[in-house]
Amino acid sequence: MSLAIANSIDDVLTALAGGARPIAGGTDLVVGARQGKSPLPESLIAIDRVPALSTIEQTDGHVRIGAGVTHSRLMSDPLLVERYTGLADAAALIGSPSTRNVGTIGGNVMNASPAMDTGAPLMTLGAIAELRSVSHTRQLALSDLWTGPGQTSANPDELCVCIVIPQTPAYSGSAYVRLEYRRAMEIAVVGAAASVVLTEDGTIASGRLAMTAVAPTIVELVGASEAMTGMAAVDAADVIASLASDQAVPISDLRGSDRYRRHTIGVMAARALDAAARRAGGERIGVPVNRNLGIGAAR
Amino acid sequence: MSETYELEVNGVSYPISAAMDRSLLSILRTEVGLTGTKEGCDDCECGACMVLIDDQPVNSCSYLAAQAQGRRVTTIEGILDGENQLHPLQRNLLDEGGVQCGFCTPGMIMSAQALLARNTSPTQEEIRIGLSGNLCRCTGYQRILAAVEKTATEA
Amino acid sequence: MTTTETPRFVRADGPDKVTGSGRYAADLTLTGMLTAKFLYAGVSHARITKLDVTAAKKVPGVLAVLNQADVPLVRFGSVADRTLFAHEVIRFEGEVVAAVAAIDAATAQKALDAIVFEYEELPVVNDIEAAAQPDSLLVHENWEDYAADDDVSRQGNIASFTSIARGDVETTLATADHVISSRYVADASHAVPIEPRGVVAQWEGDKLTVWSSTQVPFQARDGVCETLELPTNKVRIVVPHLGGGFGGKCGFHYEAHIAALARATRRPVRLVFSREEEFLAPDRRREGMIVEITSGLRHDGVIVARKARILLDNGAYSSDASFFPHMAVMHALGPYKIDHVYGEASSIYTNHQPSGSVRAPTAPQACWALESHTDELAKAVGMDPVAFRQLNTVDTGATGVTGQIYEEIGLQECIREAVAASAYHEDLGDDEAVGVAVGWWPSFPDASGAYIKVDSDGKGVIITGAQECGTGAVMTLPYLAAAELGMAPEDFEIVYQDTSAAPYDTGATGSQTLLNNGRATVEAAREIALQLKKLAAEELEASPEDIVLADGMASVVGSPDSSISIVDLAGIAADGEMLLGRGSGSPPESPTTPKTVSCVGDQGMNAWAGPQFSCHAVRIRLDRETGVVRVLEVNTAHDSGVIVNRVGASGQVEGGVLMGIGQALTERTVYGDDAKQKNAGLLEYKLQTMADAPPITIHFAEVYTPDMGPNGSKPIAEAPNVATAAAISNAIAKLVGRPVRLLPMTAERVWETLQDERA
Repeated sequence: MSLAIANSIDDVLTALAGGARPIAGGTDLVVGARQGKSPLPESLIAIDRVPALSTIEQTDGHVRIGAGVTHSRLMSDPLLVERYTGLADAAALIGSPSTRNVGTIGGNVMNASPAMDTGAPLMTLGAIAELRSVSHTRQLALSDLWTGPGQTSANPDELCVCIVIPQTPAYSGSAYVRLEYRRAMEIAVVGAAASVVLTEDGTIASGRLAMTAVAPTIVELVGASEAMTGMAAVDAADVIASLASDQAVPISDLRGSDRYRRHTIGVMAARALDAAARRAGGERIGVPVNRNLGIGAAR
Repeated sequence: MSETYELEVNGVSYPISAAMDRSLLSILRTEVGLTGTKEGCDDCECGACMVLIDDQPVNSCSYLAAQAQGRRVTTIEGILDGENQLHPLQRNLLDEGGVQCGFCTPGMIMSAQALLARNTSPTQEEIRIGLSGNLCRCTGYQRILAAVEKTATEA
Repeated sequence: MTTTETPRFVRADGPDKVTGSGRYAADLTLTGMLTAKFLYAGVSHARITKLDVTAAKKVPGVLAVLNQADVPLVRFGSVADRTLFAHEVIRFEGEVVAAVAAIDAATAQKALDAIVFEYEELPVVNDIEAAAQPDSLLVHENWEDYAADDDVSRQGNIASFTSIARGDVETTLATADHVISSRYVADASHAVPIEPRGVVAQWEGDKLTVWSSTQVPFQARDGVCETLELPTNKVRIVVPHLGGGFGGKCGFHYEAHIAALARATRRPVRLVFSREEEFLAPDRRREGMIVEITSGLRHDGVIVARKARILLDNGAYSSDASFFPHMAVMHALGPYKIDHVYGEASSIYTNHQPSGSVRAPTAPQACWALESHTDELAKAVGMDPVAFRQLNTVDTGATGVTGQIYEEIGLQECIREAVAASAYHEDLGDDEAVGVAVGWWPSFPDASGAYIKVDSDGKGVIITGAQECGTGAVMTLPYLAAAELGMAPEDFEIVYQDTSAAPYDTGATGSQTLLNNGRATVEAAREIALQLKKLAAEELEASPEDIVLADGMASVVGSPDSSISIVDLAGIAADGEMLLGRGSGSPPESPTTPKTVSCVGDQGMNAWAGPQFSCHAVRIRLDRETGVVRVLEVNTAHDSGVIVNRVGASGQVEGGVLMGIGQALTERTVYGDDAKQKNAGLLEYKLQTMADAPPITIHFAEVYTPDMGPNGSKPIAEAPNVATAAAISNAIAKLVGRPVRLLPMTAERVWETLQDERA
């Protein structure tokens, strides 16, 4: 096996064109190889020292988060905590402090696990992934990127260079909650993210929800905005919960049965909505919601 | 195929000749010869292998050694104070009874060291989260928590 | 957060452990050392049809490939049903089929891949109730051929059966005012020491040294001697620092495999387990259990009769588990004053990993069942569960379920103090509650030995066969020796964990170290004290009986000016009769079984020496929508006699409680339809993290216990692991309206129980 350390995005793209695979923190790749899931690729290009991949930039109408930004930064960056709070919630729940130090948003997104934590909030925030190869750059909605468990529509020579999120409007808020059996070192049993915009009278003007670990990929809750527009969040909780339970297609595994997941995804969706709406209304709920609003998950 | 690179561990530069797919844990224990860093799961789930890379705690079992080139690696062997005196964390862990079998202890100290470096007066909750990636089966954590609190108070 | 002042305790192995300089088995390397790897069966039940290692032996860098054909065919275990390597029939997935020694791990793996291993699969025995039926497929067809102690009662898949009968249960139940029956089912779980085991073996001539991460070096030695047919004085087991055990590293495991590889290759060989192997292979697992209990009550709440039936999952081999049924029955009947009892338990062969001693074997599950049942009883008669226990549990002078009459014990103090420290009597709202449970656990008097020498500079060495598994029990021995000799604990070093240097000790099992090796160490110190007094008497022209040893001086009683330092005496002794002490002492006698009880399959558990008692009160919060339970605080009280080492004892309580929380809520070994484990890793087998750990308070009911451990003490290490899950169960039942009858009480199971209660 060979490993080269890249200093620039061009270094990376050239290496990928030559058949190398990118490695950032290695938390998924190295652990996966050790567990025998998939051996390490023959050729690796380390992308953790490319400065351009580690920036968080505010541009006109967008924030661009470099693919190499670690979860530790996502959960503590003032801009993200203030305006993209659901993403910070998710980053703060991943693994342990050490995995958050080396794990990156690009790695999380491109690993395409249906149980990934950052996926659902990114989806509700309308994020898109920017993929680049030596020949082209393209932007892809996350729903088009994730095609199945561990599968993406990215080509092997494409690098996810950043995640682009549109600026959030006034009176908006977001949150991510998940069901977990321990308060740390967990993978979501189920999880839900919500982003909402409120009207001046506090009712919901629009909103989006997305769900973790109830389908082969992270999925958006269809019809959520229509179902809750014009309602107070507290009144929308039940309808959102049953919408989530109806649309979930969970599997049964060690972490929970399909029946239990179908129920709890509704609970998580309602709680995510509640926290997002409260944040939109100006309430400061610390990151992550899970640890700041009580047990197991938010309440 | 082994390749050669340099690794800085506890302020000493070591020439390493090894396959590039070796984990930092394995290189530290066999090539560098420092066995204070332990392997408990090889899976990022126990924290016994915790080291600092550029002062940040990292599970060395799941980090490629070659990726640590040009970075500062600190292990439990590098944590003694100047004149080989116990670091306050080490002393307080012993004083408070936070050490039993000792297998998780090096990793626990590395996480605690990193926590206290970025937060000099952590709350109990911050200590609990900061050390949540380090499993201990012996102590119930209470005396480890007390030792970290005491270290913060003394500093 | 102890209730009494903590004296300073410095563990001699501490600096080694906090600096990383301490060596554990996996840290040892010897020149020329080879790497061992095992080929596991990977199938739960099968007949071996082909095992060909020819190609594996030809892999470059492979120096030996061994299987059962290469070692004596010796069966071992409490029922002698086990062989070193798989022999003809595979009975669980973690059986070692072959062992390889090679120049490195990758080469060893190539050899494993080259082994031709073929088998014909057999139907799996995966369910203990079905396996207990007379017509079930047998896990061991030839079970009658296996040697076992005469007291072990066996039949078919029942590897060990015990029943206890006292009084007239059926008649008493028939006339009781209330009769309540409960059924509880516990999953298997694991000890999970953070150190995966390691073994290094090296031969020098016909002498073998094995460095092993075992809790019981003498048992390991005896296992090597038995299976490789060697005399005990040719085999030396050395334990480096041990990274925890909790019973999981009791017994004899892989020392003989590695010794055989080292002999075959004439090179040192090292085995280090992965975490997955640590879950799958050892014959130490906390067994799954089905517990059915029926109790008869009077209207006033007095329990008049109880019967219990228990099935335990023995797994594929008997390990040390033959006494488990007897122990489980005692825990299902409990520390109660009941005159009419009947209990029976069967340990059933299955195609699972063998069960074996894990911290307080059988107790957490059986106590969880009994104490959950007890809250159901209190509810049936409309009594407060604490008052109900105070009415029915044993006290000093009371007669227990098997007729044992208790000398001074502290159970009532435990109940009072644990509850008083808790929020039991406060209004906690709709989502929080405190549950209370009591537990008990025996002490195990046993043979043990220690030597002490004091050299010319007045510094001493304690040479002990005792094993330090982290508890600090061995580290406490210098305090005991120093107290006898008027010296300082720091004056003593300890040589330990070496079977050739020290006399026999049972090892870190049964919480017995301080009880038995403490006694031996005190006895050895007393021999030195006699020598010092005799020497001092000569120097000071006094009578030896008038010499007192204190503060490093030997003085004539009443004449403090007439004294000589122990250092000076040691210097004198070094040129003449040296200061050498040896101690063993007679183990405290176990109480005899009361005549009123009849017992089939008697494994010596009817009457307990030095019984320890505890009460745990646990405050939880319940998320009703998800079933997630969080433990907010645990208030404990323990009668383990006088506490010798407060820091050490508190550490045992705190660690035991947290293990109990894990067992209550998240720790569970899941078996597939193929009888294989589905969660052999730390992500899906969930230990509690520091983020989950609640504050724990401790009250020690320090009842002086004569004729037991040093200073009136009783053991402590296992007892704290008994009652926590039970107390959590009772807190959950308060909030849910009924108990969760499955252990662990996972969030999903709590939620399902909530649905049932609503329906």
